[in-house]
Amino acid sequence: GVASEIEAIPSGPRKVECKEDDEFLNALDKMVSENIQERMRETVKASHIDISVPVLKSNKKNYDQLQETGDKDQNTMGFVLMVRKGNKQQYKPFEADINSELAQNLRDQELAQREE
Amino acid sequence: EEEDEEFYNSKELPDYACKYCGIHEPNCVVMCNLCKKWFCNGRGNTSGSHIINHLVRAKHKEVTLHKDGPLGETVLECYSCGVRNVFVLGFIPAKADSVVVLLCRQPCAAQNSLKDMNWEQEQWKPLIADRCFLTWLVKIPSEQEQLRARQITAQQINKLEELWKDNVDATFQDLEKPGVDEEPQQVLLRYEDGYQYQNIFGPLVKLEADYDKRLKESQTQENIDVRWDVGLNKKTIAYFTLAKTDGDMKLMHGDELRLRYVGEMHKPWAGVGHVIKVPDNYGEDIGIELKNSPGAPTQCSSNFVVDFIWKSTSFDRMQLALRKFAVDESSVSAYIYHRLLGHEVEEVLMRCKLPKHFSAPNLPDLNRSQVYAVKHALQRPLSLIQGPPGTGKTVTSATIVYQLVKQNGGPVLVCAPSNTAVDQLTEKIHRTNLKVVRLCAKSREAIDSPVSFLALHNQIRKMEIHNELQKLQQLKDETGELSSVDEKRYRVLKKSSEKELLEAADVICCTCVGAGDPRLTRLKFHSILIDESMQATEPECMVPVVLGVNQLILVGDHCQLGPVVMCKKAARAGLSQSLFERLVVLGIRPFRLEVQYRMHPELSRFPSNFFYEGSLQNGVCADERRLTKVEFPWPMPDRPMFFHVTQGQEEIAGSGTSYLNRTEAANVEKLATRFLRGGVKPEQIGVITPYEGQRAYLVQHMQYQGSLHSKLYQEIEIASVDAFQGREKDIIIMSCVRSNEHQGIGFLNDPRRLNVALTRAKYGIIIVGNPKVLSKQPLWNHLLTFYKEQKVLVEGPLTNLKESMIQFAKPKKLIN
Ligand SMILES: [Zn+2]
Ligand SMILES: [Zn+2]
Ligand SMILES: [Zn+2]
Repeated sequence: GVASEIEAIPSGPRKVECKEDDEFLNALDKMVSENIQERMRETVKASHIDISVPVLKSNKKNYDQLQETGDKDQNTMGFVLMVRKGNKQQYKPFEADINSELAQNLRDQELAQREE
Repeated sequence: EEEDEEFYNSKELPDYACKYCGIHEPNCVVMCNLCKKWFCNGRGNTSGSHIINHLVRAKHKEVTLHKDGPLGETVLECYSCGVRNVFVLGFIPAKADSVVVLLCRQPCAAQNSLKDMNWEQEQWKPLIADRCFLTWLVKIPSEQEQLRARQITAQQINKLEELWKDNVDATFQDLEKPGVDEEPQQVLLRYEDGYQYQNIFGPLVKLEADYDKRLKESQTQENIDVRWDVGLNKKTIAYFTLAKTDGDMKLMHGDELRLRYVGEMHKPWAGVGHVIKVPDNYGEDIGIELKNSPGAPTQCSSNFVVDFIWKSTSFDRMQLALRKFAVDESSVSAYIYHRLLGHEVEEVLMRCKLPKHFSAPNLPDLNRSQVYAVKHALQRPLSLIQGPPGTGKTVTSATIVYQLVKQNGGPVLVCAPSNTAVDQLTEKIHRTNLKVVRLCAKSREAIDSPVSFLALHNQIRKMEIHNELQKLQQLKDETGELSSVDEKRYRVLKKSSEKELLEAADVICCTCVGAGDPRLTRLKFHSILIDESMQATEPECMVPVVLGVNQLILVGDHCQLGPVVMCKKAARAGLSQSLFERLVVLGIRPFRLEVQYRMHPELSRFPSNFFYEGSLQNGVCADERRLTKVEFPWPMPDRPMFFHVTQGQEEIAGSGTSYLNRTEAANVEKLATRFLRGGVKPEQIGVITPYEGQRAYLVQHMQYQGSLHSKLYQEIEIASVDAFQGREKDIIIMSCVRSNEHQGIGFLNDPRRLNVALTRAKYGIIIVGNPKVLSKQPLWNHLLTFYKEQKVLVEGPLTNLKESMIQFAKPKKLIN
């Protein structure tokens, strides 16, 4: 039969099981738990920086509005990451995949709000 | 004009390419803050992304996002406490809002006040999920991109991390670097990825380049006498003779030599010129045309020195192509990439509208197997066409190119390893009325060929619209030089006209190495056909291939001569195997042309049975290959062939590195004279001899000892097997030379060389040699047995040829 080129080539790298990879998996688990434990032991001082949610008119869009913007990539949702540069707040817009936990969460929240 | 040859297009991986796999999509990479190395967010064949692999194995913890990534240049840190340890970092979304903040799990994300500030505290999630960074921070390269990248294994990652502990600048290449004195790595049948391909072929190209350089630079010759002349183009030409050069050293048209004056009759002078004449039947002298004539000491005739100039251009282009194949995903289509590397990929047919008629205008109608070959090539992204001798390979190739242009438009790139082969094909394609441009190396622009009028540099001269360019060109031709302002203007105009012509072409033809010309690098070629591809080394073939190919047609015959590799080390490691051959071994079945139109049916029998499993059919009959009105004492009148048993002594030729055989030479002269007397024209005869020493001796011997006018013998072409590949003669006389019982028979034991030698003749072939010695070689044993069975193994004077009663061992079964 006639196969297309795309169908014929391999779809992606296949995972190779080996002892080095198993070692990596263990080392990662260990690293995460050790680092968190360490933070618990240290007494990191609570900071007095204001981290309240900013009111960003330009960026505050609800789920429906995001759906309406037809020219945008339908598979993503717009978000804003709040970061700090010295003492100043900065807002970095980014797109998250519609299936990401982040987007799912926002959608659930809005649905819940509307039902209230 | 040298600066045009610079590699301004050199393709290196950017700094931010993943140190493991080479992926360099800014969206997909992260920098480790501690060691400043970049890694991608793809897993390849491991369970975590490369950046996570690195952080865990190196115990590094902080990262920065790429400036062109989704969030711009950003150091990942806790908004509240500023900690940068990515293993404790996570994010929290705002309540029903699209704002997000990064916070560490302890203590910042655990603060009670978060809820009051409208954050969804219980929604805290780590930045690393499923052993990759979240995709809104760093994208994951697509599966296809990951496949196109270096397929680094967990073991190699481990080793590399170990290397970095001693040397922070170590690279993947250092993992496999052979020691200085070690043998290079052998070529493989299959390669993991383009990087491995480059890592294996790169060093072999380097070995060959170094060998070539040493060879050329060791050839300086002193005490040279020069005869001066002026060419039609008013350029100065110097003629001189060199003592026999090393057997390996082949001087070619277009090669560059430096001539230096070291005498006292003139101030010291040196000038560079390219070769316009090589030793041949008309004389052993060499001619070079000087690049810059003024100042040459033309009044002096002795005390000159000749140096060979080594040029790295062709080797540089191969290295560049190998690198491009590894790092640039647009260099070849994904399908071709995987096929060339020998990955498990099935053969596919492309959607294409096949033409009603497969022939091309002004070319001969195709036979059945040729039509199928054209069809085969048009329907496949990758195809091999095998053209045994005389089967109309060039016409088939030209027709494929014609149909490709009709189907997809141009430009189609057409290459071959040698200029002669390119010219032959160019001429045929031009006949179909397509717009053809022949691109020549600058050093060869002055060399005449049958398709000179199609050469880019000549087409430019004829462009009517560029009056100014023509005037400047004229001025340059007349005075030899332009003012710097004019020169600048001339170059700008020339460049733009070249671009214009190349872009308008249906077909661009050049040698494989010529495809690396900077003038072509900005063009993309979807369809590429490489003729005589079995004569190119793999890296040589890659030079055209990486120009964007998604349909590749390799034409050739792996049963004929392969590429010439001079460095034995590189040849042993497999550089002398062509891409065509490797693909055949990989199981890609070449489509074979089956009807030969060259040889008398009796002449094609042995080659067909021995080299082509008996599949060659004859498109000519014995009557069409009978030399009418030529009287010649063939021992079997129906079989225009014989082996003339000659037991002469071989001796070492004057050069010290080559061989000659006087008895054989005498017999060759007698045979040639007999043919000439019988009415055969000298240009119908070709004499094949494997040794340079015998060639030079034969030229001398025939001209001085031959009983006919010496001019007649001059017109008989005498050359090596290699020089006759791709060509034909009516009559072939072959002198084997080696007659030593104790040594081998030199390069006559290569089956492919023998195949080529036996398939050049249309009407008749005569082999002159010592069967006792030759029969020890299994291949020759078969040939001699065949000749004996045919009753054409003969001895004695031409006037009284008698069947030889010589006996030799039964041939062993050969695995071909
Ligand atoms: Zn690091
Ligand atoms: Zn990577
Ligand atoms: Zn914190």
